[in-house]
Amino acid sequence: MRNNQRMKSESSIRRDPETIVMRTWSVRLLRQLCPASLYEEIEGDLIQRYKRDVSKTSERVARRRLAWNAIRFIRPGILMRNQWSLNITSLSMVRNYLTIALRIMGRNKGYTTINVIGLALGMTGALLLGLWVANEFSYDQFHEDGDRIAIVWNREKQGGDVSCWSATPRVLAPTLEAGFSSIENAVSYAHYSDSYLFVAGEKRILKNEANFVDPAFLTMLSFPMIQGDVRTALNDPNSIVLTESFAKQLFGDQNALGGEITVAQGDYKIPFTVKGILKDLPGNTDFHFEFLLPFSFIETNFGKEENWENNSVVTLVKLKNGATVQAVTDQIRDLKKKNVQGEKTELFLYPLEQGHLYSKFENGVPSGGRIEIVRMIGMLAVILVLIACINFINLSTARASRRTKEVAVRKVTGAFRSALVFQFLCESILVASLASLISLGAAYILLPGFNSLIAQSLSMNFTSASFWLPFAIAVLVVGLLAGGYPSIYLSSLSPIRIFRGGRIELSRSRIRSLLVIMQFGFALTLIVSTVVVFMQTRFLQQRNVGYNRSNLIYQYVTGTLQKDFVTYREALLSTGYVSSITRTSSPVTQRMSNTSGMYWRDKDPADNTIIERFSVDQHLAETMGVEIIQGRDLDLMKYPSDSTGALINEAAARLMKFDNPVGELIEDSGREWHVVGVVKDFVFTSPYRRVEPIVMQGAKMGEHMEGVVHIRLNKDQPVRDAVGAIGQVATKINPDYPFEYNFVDQEYARKFANEATTIAITSIFSGLAILIGCLGLLGLSSYLIETRMKEIGIRKVLGGSVSNIIGLLANSSLRPIFWAIVIFSPGAWWAMRWWLQSYEYRIDFSWWIIPMASLLLLAMAMSTVILQIYKAAGVSPTKTLKSE
Amino acid sequence: MTREFLGEFEELVLTMVAALREDAYGAAIADEIQTRLSREVNLSAVHVTLYRLEDKGYVKSSLGGATQERGGRRKRIFTVTSAGMATLKAMRAARVDLWKLVPQLKLIVGH
Repeated sequence: MRNNQRMKSESSIRRDPETIVMRTWSVRLLRQLCPASLYEEIEGDLIQRYKRDVSKTSERVARRRLAWNAIRFIRPGILMRNQWSLNITSLSMVRNYLTIALRIMGRNKGYTTINVIGLALGMTGALLLGLWVANEFSYDQFHEDGDRIAIVWNREKQGGDVSCWSATPRVLAPTLEAGFSSIENAVSYAHYSDSYLFVAGEKRILKNEANFVDPAFLTMLSFPMIQGDVRTALNDPNSIVLTESFAKQLFGDQNALGGEITVAQGDYKIPFTVKGILKDLPGNTDFHFEFLLPFSFIETNFGKEENWENNSVVTLVKLKNGATVQAVTDQIRDLKKKNVQGEKTELFLYPLEQGHLYSKFENGVPSGGRIEIVRMIGMLAVILVLIACINFINLSTARASRRTKEVAVRKVTGAFRSALVFQFLCESILVASLASLISLGAAYILLPGFNSLIAQSLSMNFTSASFWLPFAIAVLVVGLLAGGYPSIYLSSLSPIRIFRGGRIELSRSRIRSLLVIMQFGFALTLIVSTVVVFMQTRFLQQRNVGYNRSNLIYQYVTGTLQKDFVTYREALLSTGYVSSITRTSSPVTQRMSNTSGMYWRDKDPADNTIIERFSVDQHLAETMGVEIIQGRDLDLMKYPSDSTGALINEAAARLMKFDNPVGELIEDSGREWHVVGVVKDFVFTSPYRRVEPIVMQGAKMGEHMEGVVHIRLNKDQPVRDAVGAIGQVATKINPDYPFEYNFVDQEYARKFANEATTIAITSIFSGLAILIGCLGLLGLSSYLIETRMKEIGIRKVLGGSVSNIIGLLANSSLRPIFWAIVIFSPGAWWAMRWWLQSYEYRIDFSWWIIPMASLLLLAMAMSTVILQIYKAAGVSPTKTLKSE
Repeated sequence: MTREFLGEFEELVLTMVAALREDAYGAAIADEIQTRLSREVNLSAVHVTLYRLEDKGYVKSSLGGATQERGGRRKRIFTVTSAGMATLKAMRAARVDLWKLVPQLKLIVGH
């Protein structure tokens, strides 16, 4: 009966043309957009029109015309008649929302704390990572003409692969500048390792590397010059440009510009005049130097280097406006081939601005590079925030029943659903803003520590819009992300059902479980990656290096040590602190040079394998502690012919396919070396890679090639005494130079700086992820237990034991985590295997890593909730069942 | 002195306002144009033109005349101001003057 009536009234509503007009979507839209003063007559006209159309044609046609007529009223001639004004009502509503939000937050302090702290932790982590990512993207982006500057690269087919590198001949830059109209400037930039003694007045500073450039380097790149003229500073062969802090080291507070410096290298002592002071280089550049010397100095004193086969410098070019990298690449591609008989190397340009992030080439084509790690870190930042957002989402939807009455009252008193959505979004944005304030403070406090951890100098630029704008947007996005789903969900509740009383079905627990699964899945992945990164790095650090790093120091051969080396060596050996001395071309931790141009008996002409060169005078095995497995060590005292002797490592012996390597001849750049022994492979270049073939050539290379002395300290004497004694001898023989030395084990440890950073980042942030996840779990489970108190009471009354109830609650709390482990393990396994692939020398992915990480995760989660569960299970049923 | 010129459609609407007197409101004007000139006009175009003429001071308006026909919504009744009437007359006079210059046109074409 009642139903019938309802249907009747509904159909009569349907037939009323006025209602039809008012309910038409385009009319509703027009109502929103049309100025109120005009709307009445327009709606009247539309109704009148519609009635006429209905009587003349069919209702269907009339409706279509109505919709169309209304749409056509949405035109500038109508819209522009709106009096735009700030809507005071909605502003005061926002104030109301914020007041309510603050009250609710104040009433549920525990829950608010979990939300705000969780978000703040996530945002702090993301902020720090974001600063790092932003810094990575800013590398060498500050050069004014950066879009026109490129670096010349080589590409050559070697064996089956195409390899790329950026070292070029010195003669390339002048050739490019003179011969190609689309190139404005081309400069060489060289980084030479050698020891240079700087003397300014009484001050002496030893530097182990020097940078030579062409004068146009200073105008091409935008390193600001504080004093001097960038256009002329390096024009004179005896001019030098210093950075501000190096100038300060040399000259103290005196004015450095115009100052005289003597630079001693080997037997030379050359005066230079300071013609420019550069501001210290920013952290975000891949150029590293403390002083610049002009190439013209080398050229006026030692002649021009015209050799196209000696790749020793980086060549930078600045293109003319309008020239493209591709077009110029096409022009210069065969330049090397034209100048060298039989050369196979092609040249190409690669933009400077992409150099930092995208300079990895695989098989001749760009294939990422540092950008990969930057992306991973960026993802980590997003995941952290996501995990924190999930807490907010879960807690607000779980606790929705607390706010049903408020939603209902607002709806009954006339709130649109959109207003409710807006209200809840205001709340989440408020929480996000609070969290962001905390995170700003926390990040500010933590930044110095983070910087030293990752060996960077990041800073938060509080005065710059490029910091605030992304930050504000991020806060807004976090607010929307966290509040979006809860607001839609809460605003959907129907007031009738709420007021009718009884239990409102708030079963969204499946989505909540899914989100918890995601959180803990991410956490699991992070734990696994931390463990794997840690193990791999340990593995690399403990790799058998093949020589004895401890009690071994090296120093550069400076000043008169060159001339008086024999005296020096004998004096050292007679101190009793030193057991063995070997001169080499470079520290054993650094490569010096390599070549694919060595020849030996029966060498396959197609073999382009690169072989490392290392010059050694004698006693390599004794000083370094490498093991001779065939033949003998070099020893000039016993065998003077050892000056043309050579040691090779196992890898080289394998490569050269010698059955009996001793006595074989190896030719390199027109010199022949006879092999006297084979040493066991030792790590010479990178501890991440397989050992490359090395040929250790004897003293015939000349003393100037052997600029480093390795000194094996007598292990029975204290290191400090030994170093002191060596220093005394050195300064006596070589009084002009300060005594400087390095410990080989420390230098070796520096090869792991990157890994140390990765470990620090992954472990800290996986810890953060777990912490945030557990915070959320704490909030969620405490609420769920609260809602189940009666159930627990009834179970106990009916004979359920405490342990039973604990099992039940633990099961429901921890089940999502169990699923997270099941679902995310394969992904974690796959990701870490992918990461390990980047190391030639790596651990196997042990089977127990994932179970161990899972156990750890479960244990963390368990310890988070167990106290609550235990308490809840212990509550007497008389307390919980008293009411109702 | 700059004189405001009326577009063709504006002139038409203004003339209709003058012709319909107390019954000059949006829908009625559109209907009249449709029936008398067999010209399909868009309701919103008539409204926008009326508002524009009001801005220019050629018509003024007042609300009134709610009828059942339009669901009780009031009409906006437009009346021509003296400035509007003067413009209309001036335009008509100019039209007539111009027309005098082309008396033979029809004959020649007809031949």
